[in-house]
Amino acid sequence: MTGDMPSTLEAFNPVVEGLMVQTEAGPRLMGTRCLGCHMTYFPSSTTCRNPACGSDTVESTQLSLVGTLYSYTVQHYQPPPLFRNDDWQPYAIGVVEFPEKVRVMGMLSGIALDDIAIGERYVLALSDLVKDADGKQVHTHAFTPESQGTPSE
Amino acid sequence: MSEGVYVAGAGAIPWGKRPETTQLAMAIEALNAAFLDAGIGWEGIEGLVAASSRFEGGMGWGLHANEILQAVSERAISCINVGGACAAGAIAFNTAYSMIASGQHDSVAVIGAERMPKGFIPRPPGSQDDISDSDFLRWVTMGATNPAYWALEAQRRRYDFGTSDETLARASVLMRSNAAANPYARFRDPLTIEEVLASPMVADPLHLLQICPVSDGAAAVVLGSRKFAEGTGRPLVEVAGCAIGSGQFGDPARRIPTISNTVLEGVAHTSEVTTSVKRAMEMASVDLPDIDVLEMADNTSWHLLAWPELFGFVEPGQSDWMINNGRFAINGDLALNPSGGFLSFGEATTAQAVLQVCELVWQLRGEAVGRQVTGARVGMSAVLGLAGNGGSIVLKR
Ligand SMILES: [Zn+2]
Repeated sequence: MTGDMPSTLEAFNPVVEGLMVQTEAGPRLMGTRCLGCHMTYFPSSTTCRNPACGSDTVESTQLSLVGTLYSYTVQHYQPPPLFRNDDWQPYAIGVVEFPEKVRVMGMLSGIALDDIAIGERYVLALSDLVKDADGKQVHTHAFTPESQGTPSE
Repeated sequence: MSEGVYVAGAGAIPWGKRPETTQLAMAIEALNAAFLDAGIGWEGIEGLVAASSRFEGGMGWGLHANEILQAVSERAISCINVGGACAAGAIAFNTAYSMIASGQHDSVAVIGAERMPKGFIPRPPGSQDDISDSDFLRWVTMGATNPAYWALEAQRRRYDFGTSDETLARASVLMRSNAAANPYARFRDPLTIEEVLASPMVADPLHLLQICPVSDGAAAVVLGSRKFAEGTGRPLVEVAGCAIGSGQFGDPARRIPTISNTVLEGVAHTSEVTTSVKRAMEMASVDLPDIDVLEMADNTSWHLLAWPELFGFVEPGQSDWMINNGRFAINGDLALNPSGGFLSFGEATTAQAVLQVCELVWQLRGEAVGRQVTGARVGMSAVLGLAGNGGSIVLKR
């Protein structure tokens, strides 16, 4: 699993629309913030699901760039075909906790499988999945150790 | 209503892979076993509640009570079909309970029967291929399999409590040892810790023998009023409490198939199940020390450590010591899945929660040959279904 960053904004080609947005500071996860109770949701939602909140007004928001690794696992079996990944090999999936109280799952990139440690700081990155019909690289959201450098560098 | 609701009969078929049998035939076999146990025939029930999934049966609606009746005993009774993924059996049980407790009916049967699809479970028809569909997202963005979700919990447990590979393996060993004499269990050969740890790594830290596979199976119970239950001449087993639950906002559990959750401090982990357990116990007026047998959903060995803590039987992190010192064994402090659990059965989704009730009934009657919890008087079940479905049942003799 590589953590290669696209060199230009034009290369930004996420596997699902609406999950991420490309900013000048690099890609960010797109979520929803409730204007009533200020809870944050990921991925984007049209509603607030806080039972203590009666608000029906939500706005789009970007999650923080940096979070803490809450847990991880290494998948040793290839997932079913809906997951398309060139050059598949065992890879890590982590849960990163963001300051918005949101825990997000995603592939981990830019770190050896034996070196992953809970509690370390991770930043959002893009990870290559497959080449689409036009030969353009398709990305998914991933997390990489902060020490590896932020995507804007 | 004040007279209570009782389990008048319980029956199941052995779990396994049954490619030559239909779901309908399995359901009928399990119901016949439960009727035989209750000493009644098909004419003895006034209602039938089926636990349904989308895998097979009922012209696409899943296991269908009407379809079963039309095949065996075509007459007018109350037929209800309920969903709730792996918790469907507990929800069906709750429904039947209410039908009797309300005074509407004297006897209602509950049936769960499932033939699981081969390989990965396909997405439901009509699913959206966009960010509104969690199942789509988990596959296309990271290929997160069900074991990966459980592994994330298990890995965090290792970090929080220092749970060892050996302890996680010992939970699998315990389930196999419990299942050894259970004729309904699919996997009954004893296991060693070494064998568990030598099985292929699926998702760190979970090995193949720490994850429940899928099976085909069917189980049924007959619920009745006190008068009806007394009429069967069988030992009385009372439904002292039963409850179903849904997820609470802020729950930290990694809920399949979501890829994210908003976590709030103080909210119970796996709240759909813990809430059900709490409510069922309150309804039964029992406390944790009163419970002799717990039949709980052990999709992995991690569940066997985590759930007794979530329910409050032991403090967080203490299950490791309990399992390593035989305290969760059949005649330990708390008998944990004397049936052998999902790990020894393989999961037959909708049937699983009904089978839990059957096992509790056999335990409370003293009929669980080779796995009997001595003097068991109170038993509790706990089950989790996809999409925030939970259920728990407390039985008393
Ligand atoms: Zn709100």
